[in-house]
Amino acid sequence: MDTVARVDPDDLEKEALAAAAEARSLAALSEVRIRALGRNSALKLALRNVRDRETGTKLNAVRETVEAALTAREEELARAELEERLATERVDVTLPAALVGPPKLRPRGTLHPSTLVRRDVEDIFLGLGYEIVDGREVETTRYNFDALGFPDWHPARSTRASLFVDDDTMLRTETSPAQIHKMEERRPPIYMVSIGRVYRRDTIDATHFPIFHQFEGLAIDEGITLADLKGTLRHVMRQLYGEERELRFRTHYFPFTEPSMEPDVSCFNCGGAGCHICKHSGWIEMGGSGMVDPYLYEFVGWGAEEYSGFAFGMGIERTAQLRYGISGLRPFWENDLRFLRQFR
Amino acid sequence: MRIPLSWLREYVRVDADAQEIVGALSISTAEVNGVQRVGVPGELGLFRVGHVLEAEKHPDADRLQLTSVDVGEDRPYSIVCGAWNFGAGAKVAVALPGATLPNGLTLERRKLRGKVSEGMILAEDELDLGSDHSGIIVLDDGLDAGTPLADVLPLVEEVLDLDPTGNRPDLFAVYGVAREVAALLGGELLPLPGEEPKRDGDEPVGIGIDDPAGCLRFIGRLLRDVSIGESPPWLKARLRHSGVRAISNVVDVTNYVMLTLGSPLHAYDHDLLRGGLVARRAREGEQVRTLDGVERTLSAEDLVIADGERAVGLAGIMGGEETEVSSSTANVLLEAANFEPVGILRSSERHALRTEGSNRWEKGVDPHVAGPAATYATQLIVELTGARWTGAEDVQGELPKPAVIRLRPERVGEVLGLEVPENEQAEILGRIGFEQLKKGFRVPTWRARDVTREIDVIEEVARFKLPEIPFTLPRREEMFGRLTREQRLRRQVEDVLVGAGYAEAYTSTFVAEGDLRLPEPLSAEAAALRAVLYASLLEPARRNADSGAEDVALFEVARVYRDVGHQLPQERWHVAGIADGGFAEAKWAVEQIYSALGLESSYERTSEPFLHPGKAARTAEGWLGELHPALLDGAWGAFELDLDALAEAAPEVVGFEEVSPYPEVRQDLAFVVDEEVPAADILASIREAAGELLRELEVFDEYRGEQTGEGKRSLAFRLAFGSLEGTLRDEDVAPVRASIVDALASRFGAVLRA
Ligand SMILES: [Zn+2]
Repeated sequence: MDTVARVDPDDLEKEALAAAAEARSLAALSEVRIRALGRNSALKLALRNVRDRETGTKLNAVRETVEAALTAREEELARAELEERLATERVDVTLPAALVGPPKLRPRGTLHPSTLVRRDVEDIFLGLGYEIVDGREVETTRYNFDALGFPDWHPARSTRASLFVDDDTMLRTETSPAQIHKMEERRPPIYMVSIGRVYRRDTIDATHFPIFHQFEGLAIDEGITLADLKGTLRHVMRQLYGEERELRFRTHYFPFTEPSMEPDVSCFNCGGAGCHICKHSGWIEMGGSGMVDPYLYEFVGWGAEEYSGFAFGMGIERTAQLRYGISGLRPFWENDLRFLRQFR
Repeated sequence: MRIPLSWLREYVRVDADAQEIVGALSISTAEVNGVQRVGVPGELGLFRVGHVLEAEKHPDADRLQLTSVDVGEDRPYSIVCGAWNFGAGAKVAVALPGATLPNGLTLERRKLRGKVSEGMILAEDELDLGSDHSGIIVLDDGLDAGTPLADVLPLVEEVLDLDPTGNRPDLFAVYGVAREVAALLGGELLPLPGEEPKRDGDEPVGIGIDDPAGCLRFIGRLLRDVSIGESPPWLKARLRHSGVRAISNVVDVTNYVMLTLGSPLHAYDHDLLRGGLVARRAREGEQVRTLDGVERTLSAEDLVIADGERAVGLAGIMGGEETEVSSSTANVLLEAANFEPVGILRSSERHALRTEGSNRWEKGVDPHVAGPAATYATQLIVELTGARWTGAEDVQGELPKPAVIRLRPERVGEVLGLEVPENEQAEILGRIGFEQLKKGFRVPTWRARDVTREIDVIEEVARFKLPEIPFTLPRREEMFGRLTREQRLRRQVEDVLVGAGYAEAYTSTFVAEGDLRLPEPLSAEAAALRAVLYASLLEPARRNADSGAEDVALFEVARVYRDVGHQLPQERWHVAGIADGGFAEAKWAVEQIYSALGLESSYERTSEPFLHPGKAARTAEGWLGELHPALLDGAWGAFELDLDALAEAAPEVVGFEEVSPYPEVRQDLAFVVDEEVPAADILASIREAAGELLRELEVFDEYRGEQTGEGKRSLAFRLAFGSLEGTLRDEDVAPVRASIVDALASRFGAVLRA
């Protein structure tokens, strides 16, 4: 008993830590563990014979330190052993997949519903003789706001509504900056649709996500009228939702169009009689539209009345929701194969 | 903006029902979220004015009253009631058995503690006219028993839920909406409500404007001897239907007039003010406790209303608690002002405080409407509280002059694609307050902020003509209509991967770490823009595998972002994929992509911390490999390629070679080589040694066993030779074959297997 009582906790600790550091394999380390912390280890014996509180505290601290060191070393060795094992599993990466695998024979995959809509929209506008523009996602506030006539006080300019990288740089809140770039690049005729990710500072829930996809059209030429906008949108909506669809305009306000309207499409589900999809109005809201504000022409250095044009914007996810009857936004971002695989 | 239709109809005479009003407003004015019918759902005839003939305590219940009420029938009705704020002689609101209350409860004759009760004497909450349940509604003594209650109280209301856009502050007012309805449906707009009551004195009020940029106008009115109390039922009902809480008669009047005319007002307890009122900027660090009980520290950018000593309210946003009107208030100072919008918006944002008032000011309220608002509020306070109006001041700087805008009549047709005759243009504009002068149209004051240019005036005409505008298409002289090369290539890659069994994923642009950090991140996990795609696929892959999905294979095509030292980061399109099964899965997908794009690919061994060290390869446009098992449990193949780089590398035109009419000579050759020699190196040497007769070459077998020996493997190649000149004979091919064998022997020590 005397010998046990005289054990110096610091020595025990030093000894155990050194042994752990020296262990070269997991097997060796497990022996160290038994010697240092096992039932018959000097530490356990000392703990069993503790008489005063101070010694007990000290010994327990040693036990914890040793325990932590052993665990850390264990992870280190496991990782090293894994790496060693992996190093022996080499393949000739230049061999064809058929020889290194062969790869699985998988059932055909699927495009995301947003891509299906995106391609459809692209094809409809290609058919109308529009070019498709991707545009960049990180933009200057000059192109995202100033060029589009957002007044200084507009709530979208606030950090509560939009995502900024620094004071003058931000994630685009709509795909319209791409249109200004196009206007700066060349003179009309311009017939383009910009499509892609846009960003708003939204808290994620069933119906909100900080990222969504928009398609925005812009047509600038000589003599373009609001009637042309109406006709174009009706064509696009009929392509997307069926030949029987009707289109109407409701007056609205957007900074970069004047006059501004929201287009509604007659409900494809009830044909106008009213149902849950159209909130019993017979009409479904589709987005925003209007005649290009002359301010934009002046911004890019053209005369205010040299050309005229229209612009409109709609959501890809919203279009997909309507087409496929998807509710909420979550399924678009969850990437659950049980959802994705339905879109064949 | 919730607008009770009975209120709207006080200002516009129009022969149109709710649906017609909604239809017209939603097309030409503002979005209508719906019309809600509130109040009594069914038969109104069972709601009557009752005359309490007798009232006494219920013999068996201390808290109940037993009453006998004349409800206009041939006998009095006995009704048991829980309220005590009335007695015999009172005129009350009664619902008879069979009546259905707004909460859906249908009344029946029933016994209460042994006494029959034939109906109910109503409190305001039971009619959905207010929130009070402390007592029943006591009606005007002059009413006759049996009078339909609907003649006295708004038992049923249709409430329009209008959602005006920020450019139309005039629509945040019942009267403003009435003006639109009159113009749209050809109704008659009645004059603004409010008539100055008789002035009873001429006391100084002490109003001042210290900051004319922030406060354009400040009207102060002194009202003495007010008796603070509840508002009458009609007023409480209006507020309730508009979504505003009733507080007391004076405060309710300020809210009611704001809802009517769109210009917010405030009432102060005059006896608690130390001196007159001035609109000034706050002193840095100055404090005010607002009505919501929050002690607010102000900055020099905040506009305040102050008395002689301190700030008594955050101008336009919320009044101060210390000078608020309370039940003991005897004298009231009424404020009707006009504040500049941007300053109010900024203060409201700074203090995270949005109110009915700030919501209007920040859109820009017509300074000319402060006058009528003061008049109407004064009238109502005098009528409802018995106050005497004893003082008035109106301090204003130079109010903006209404703009006169020239409208070229032909411009309307050019913009709309619909001819609108000149006189019709003028007629439409006239209906919404645009006065035609020689030089053009004078913009009404309530539209001054929004309508400043000819195109804005055209929009005013347009919104009345929207349904008539025809459907046409632009006349084109030039067409575009083709995807760019990059876009076509993107589609191709997507299609290849779908064919290879991959499902397309959409994952977030945001990651926890990246070189483009957001100063105000969405969350810890969404704090930076991603620089790689594959990492975003790990989590969905794991989740799908965990939920038991088989053949998990996901890909994504999206942008990645890199800080390259300019203001804007570099954005490049990438494709990444992940598939269960290991290295061969990634290799197969990448081979398919390169092959679809007509691109030769070359693979080199590489190492990445996230990849299996023995199963990682690099191509010129990206990488592929097996994921390091520490990253994701199990064997997963993964890859990521730069699509922009692929587009640059991919040939634009297919380069074809003429097909020989002569048969090809096929030969299989197998060599034993060191393990370390990559198959690709041998292929390259064969190609070089074979020369121009070689038509096809592939490696088709790999073998290890006793015959190859330790550290060696056998690789088998299939070659095809051919010529445009003629059929090749053995003598033509033999020397080529010999030079291949020699080359491999000397370069790699390869031994041809028999
Ligand atoms: Zn419907």
